[in-house]
Amino acid sequence: MSDRISLENLLEGIAEPETRQASSRLKSRIYSKLVLAETGSGPLRSLTEVKADGRRLCVFEELVQISPVPEPVKAKNPCRVCHARLLGEYVEGAPIYWPHCPYVLFQNR
Amino acid sequence: MSQTERESRSEATAADLRLASAVRSKDRKATAEFVEAYADLLYAYLAHRLFPNMSHAEDLVQEVFLTALQNIGGYGGKSSLRSWLLGIARHKVEDHYRRVLKESPMDDVETLEIESAEQNEDAGFQDYERARAAEILGRLREDYRLLLRWKYWDRKSASEMAAATGKTGKAIKRALSRARAQFRKRWEDACV
Repeated sequence: MSDRISLENLLEGIAEPETRQASSRLKSRIYSKLVLAETGSGPLRSLTEVKADGRRLCVFEELVQISPVPEPVKAKNPCRVCHARLLGEYVEGAPIYWPHCPYVLFQNR
Repeated sequence: MSQTERESRSEATAADLRLASAVRSKDRKATAEFVEAYADLLYAYLAHRLFPNMSHAEDLVQEVFLTALQNIGGYGGKSSLRSWLLGIARHKVEDHYRRVLKESPMDDVETLEIESAEQNEDAGFQDYERARAAEILGRLREDYRLLLRWKYWDRKSASEMAAATGKTGKAIKRALSRARAQFRKRWEDACV
């Protein structure tokens, strides 16, 4: 491995890594950051509107959505105070199983 | 045609437009769907481009998503969301290369003598050799590693690298020569 050709061939020939999957922690952190960024520029779409669009809510979001609170409250992000978010961000394959929870969606299982 | 070029020709689907519109409206469920749909693709792409040093891949995936969110209002469906995101990722990688190489004190390091040795007749590039090459590449200084990657994987010329980094063509060529020499020396040391 001394001449230029063999060096070039060797560098070019380095095998591509096999297809990699983003960790559930990474996806969770990205999601949290995106929602945080979205809240930074105004309220989120309210849970009532989200549900009306046919999207499914997790049990906590459902509770907020049916609560007799003003709509602006339903545009808040309850995930900020949810243990599922913390587990999702810090534990790979976190033991969370709430149906329709975004942090459960990211678990690679 | 490279994979990226093929991707750039793919067209937006109705699902792409719906998802982009929902993300734009700050629908949190759509945002989750957006992350789930594209995080693996972007991570695989960035991990490949930054291979073998993956430490920046996660940071760049996050940056790509944040940039996408900031600009999703301008996504008009001229290409698929996948292509659009890969385009952002490609720019992030180029920015990363440029940033590292701009900050590199290329002219300050000592010139290493390029050792000559007998040509290895048996240059069949077996898997173990590739793995060893990847390992050596991973242990090189970051600027050297990126120069070699830019040169041999992305086929950038010295003048293109110079234009992108603000260095002179001569500085790039000297740094490339040193990078090659260092790679070669480590390879030969590993063979002893």
